[in-house]
Amino acid sequence: MIHTVLSVSFALWLVTQTFPPGADAATVIAGIVRTQSGQPLSGLVLLEKGEIHNNRWDRGTLVDASGRFRIELAEGGQYGLHAYSSGYIYKPNAVKVESDKTLEVEVVLVPEPTRANDPVIKRVEFVTSETRKGKATIRMEVTDPNGDLGPQVLALNAATGRAFAMAPPRWVWTLKSNYPDGVYQLEVDTSKALTDPRDWHFVVADHKCNTTDVLSFPHEPKPPRVIR
Amino acid sequence: MLRSVALALITVVSAGPAPAGARAGSLVALVAAGERSWTTSPDPRDPVACVTCHYDPDETRGWAASFPKYRPLPPPAGRVMTLLQANAEAVQRHYGLTDPEQVALAITAYLTSRGTGVPISPGIVAGQPVFEGRLRALADSVARGERLYASRCRSCHDLGDVTPAALRFPRAVNGQVESLERFLGGHPPGLSPLGWDGQPTADLIVFLISSVGGGPANGSP
Repeated sequence: MIHTVLSVSFALWLVTQTFPPGADAATVIAGIVRTQSGQPLSGLVLLEKGEIHNNRWDRGTLVDASGRFRIELAEGGQYGLHAYSSGYIYKPNAVKVESDKTLEVEVVLVPEPTRANDPVIKRVEFVTSETRKGKATIRMEVTDPNGDLGPQVLALNAATGRAFAMAPPRWVWTLKSNYPDGVYQLEVDTSKALTDPRDWHFVVADHKCNTTDVLSFPHEPKPPRVIR
Repeated sequence: MLRSVALALITVVSAGPAPAGARAGSLVALVAAGERSWTTSPDPRDPVACVTCHYDPDETRGWAASFPKYRPLPPPAGRVMTLLQANAEAVQRHYGLTDPEQVALAITAYLTSRGTGVPISPGIVAGQPVFEGRLRALADSVARGERLYASRCRSCHDLGDVTPAALRFPRAVNGQVESLERFLGGHPPGLSPLGWDGQPTADLIVFLISSVGGGPANGSP
């Protein structure tokens, strides 16, 4: 009995020495997405690592029905936070997250007065390769009525929390160039990312911030509607 | 402080709606035109205007005083810009204007008029995080501007005289409104023009502004 108590005590002491206080503190960005009148909005939050608009997409998550989101980060630093909700103009915010702390943000989105200028996701397909083991490709056909698509043709794997910019159908000079209509692709390493289509969510925003609806499983685009 | 004087002057001339008969080239008319451009898109098919997203007056009130500053844009376009240059980039992109200068100048005058009393603080917006990389870019811009001042201005103008004069822009002369960027971009006439929308003009202006405030534009976060 005494031996057991001593063993447990020693183990507990060892744990406290191995993990000093605060070592388990996470670096987190969390917050709420809402309308101007305070109504919560569901959707997506995606992060660029570093300076905002650098197109280096890093983490992301779903925003739940209460408008809440939480993303655990590998490290603190500067991030570009982008919030998307169907029927609303997306909002970019440059944020600075301190290591081992939680940054709370509030994002207010305004509805799009018209959907006529929005990019359009026409279809999404998941293709697994017979010849290239461990690789799968996601293809998404995108058009824009004004021809001003930008680099924000985006995919989120909600299971892994990874955000991606999809590759355009042809080479584009700069990130400020107008991106072409066509089939955008994302090659997925299936050994690192789950390929269940239910995990994947998509959104597209053009250079003027006109934004598609968030497209989730079963990835069947519906006509966009104006939020009144 | 001098910028505050200039802001106050714009506010004095722009208080209230533009009176009937205001000259097209007056500051009063310019501020009024800026408010119209801020609130109304020139394209009836695209009703999204500046105010659609930037609807909060408290958010935009400090903008003018925070310029020149690093404007984050998709690489490699991000750079230090004046408020006029940043507005020009924005209206060119969002309003689809091929010649954005006049609309950008009007919006600049409008935003400046709304920023009266806000202490000048290049690169810093109250309530917003400070990013070291952006301040480094601003400090580099100040250094380039100082070299430009030495090569283009100092032989004729004392810095103590130039800075107050610079802060009286935009100015209306003979019914024509002129931005500081347009004036400096083509001055002096004998030298190669810098252009109103270029980086060198922004560098020169950020040097002049930083010599007034001595704040973060000098590179100290």
